[in-house]
Amino acid sequence: MMSRIALLNWTPLLVLALLLAGCETTGSRSFGLIEAQRQTIDNVISVEPGLTWNKVRSSKFTGNIEVWTLDGPTLNTLMFFTGVPDGEPLFVRRAVNQKSVEQPPVFKSDMNPFEIQELLEATMARNFQTTIADSRGLRPQLIDQGRGFRFDTSLVGRDEVERHGVFVGTIQRNKLYGAWFQGAKHHYFYRYLGEYDRIIESAQLLIKAESD
Amino acid sequence: MCSLALWSLMRDVTAQFTMDDAVLHPGYRPEEGSDEEGLWRMMDRAEGNLQLSRFVVRDPQLNEFISDMICRLGKDYCPDIRAYVVRTPYFNASMAPNGMMQIWTGLLLRCSDEAQLAAIVGHEMGHYIHRHSIQRFRDVRNKAGLSAFLGLGLAAAGAGWAGNITDLALTASIFSFSREQEREADSVGLEIMARAGYTPVAAHEVWQQLLAEQEVSTADRTQNVMFASHPAPEERLVTLREQAELLDGERGERGYERFRESLAGVRQQIVDDELRLRQYGRSEVVFDRLIAQSPKDGLLWYAKGEVYRKRAEPGDLKRALDAYQTALDTDSAPPETYRSIVLVELKQGNKAKARSTLDLYLEKYPEAADADSLQMLFY
Repeated sequence: MMSRIALLNWTPLLVLALLLAGCETTGSRSFGLIEAQRQTIDNVISVEPGLTWNKVRSSKFTGNIEVWTLDGPTLNTLMFFTGVPDGEPLFVRRAVNQKSVEQPPVFKSDMNPFEIQELLEATMARNFQTTIADSRGLRPQLIDQGRGFRFDTSLVGRDEVERHGVFVGTIQRNKLYGAWFQGAKHHYFYRYLGEYDRIIESAQLLIKAESD
Repeated sequence: MCSLALWSLMRDVTAQFTMDDAVLHPGYRPEEGSDEEGLWRMMDRAEGNLQLSRFVVRDPQLNEFISDMICRLGKDYCPDIRAYVVRTPYFNASMAPNGMMQIWTGLLLRCSDEAQLAAIVGHEMGHYIHRHSIQRFRDVRNKAGLSAFLGLGLAAAGAGWAGNITDLALTASIFSFSREQEREADSVGLEIMARAGYTPVAAHEVWQQLLAEQEVSTADRTQNVMFASHPAPEERLVTLREQAELLDGERGERGYERFRESLAGVRQQIVDDELRLRQYGRSEVVFDRLIAQSPKDGLLWYAKGEVYRKRAEPGDLKRALDAYQTALDTDSAPPETYRSIVLVELKQGNKAKARSTLDLYLEKYPEAADADSLQMLFY
């Protein structure tokens, strides 16, 4: 009887320890640390973040992208587009059988910035399964001393959370490169907008250097 | 025979409340402590969330129209049914066992008139009156447990538009009815709409239209759970046509004008939501059909032009310009038609034409929020 009581007393701690071990394992598989120092993304973009970020290894989206987050993907994400080629979607949902759904809208290398803005809006609506998706404020943006463009986004996901975002992009050698930061409107987007701007200012396109 | 039997059944349902445990009588509430009460409570919670949702369309004219139509169809069930128009761009409606009905805006776009919408709403009432949700709940629970019941909905929806966890059970109620239940809902729905004075052939027309869309879809139908769990549309088409003939199918009201007027406040939003899907073939079929019905509708011609501009396959830019011009020849083209002409002319290298059209756009629509964005494209 005594041993059973003792075991019962220890059980919550054992369970907690197992849970923590599980979280640790799952966490390290799902995320990777991005130090606040110059980073190379997919050998095509180099940036220097001012904060420590997390690389999302198990993003629910897939494509020519790399996803970072500060507070978790639900709260904010920074999605790098590492050279979307002509005829490819910006990104798709990993879990969806693409054969069972309509073909996604795709990037075309002759698109102008306004059309890229429309494309991201359509991609947002499709992948976040929402009709409340908007983009506006297209304007020029210098990227690595070259011509680029910038616009703002907003969407309300099926979780009813309003997210604001900003996209900066450029087309080089018929591919789209860019970075899209978005986060919950309250706190998680505006708090880190300055960090996003610092990352964009530090951006270097390695692919551009190759072609020069 | 089947038709007569259903007429008789419906009369019994409404006049004598209930003769059959499987049929819901007006004002019904599940027994306290029962599994059905639990399911209703779950739906009540989902409905509470839905009432606060930003996806619910609150246009008063449209909601009044929907409420009137439901009362016309449901008669004694009218006080038990609460309908919500949900801004989701796909063909669907659903009804939860507690009387919460959802009508998706993609369905509104795809109905030609009130009678076609009544056919779908009547079908959902068929599920409700025959308590298909609780039957299905008990059937699956007995075989595989609650988690499997919820999982059915998750799989069917592709874990997608159904939303968060509170909606899972609702999703299950939308998608997981058996084929037999779907057939029964079809028949009962047809009876309901005919009795309310709507044209019975409208029911098979809706499926005919959906099939026409399916034929140009880029999605593989065999991989769609919706079609796996429902009777094939072809089968539905034949059965509904035969049943409509027994009910003197051409008689009754279409309600085209009333339907169109009720949508006036949300039409452009619904069209824009469809265009954003970029399902070019399907959208072309939908807009062509609506244009055939309303050839002087500038919004529809603009939408057709947008399908071509965004698809941008060989020949599409000229098709787009032709459609935009037809839109401008009407008195109902949206101002964005000019903006789209600017984009096409720029794409074709006609900068001067693009510039003069941009000037026209800004003259017609001086508050255009995208004026600076468009100016940027000229440099």
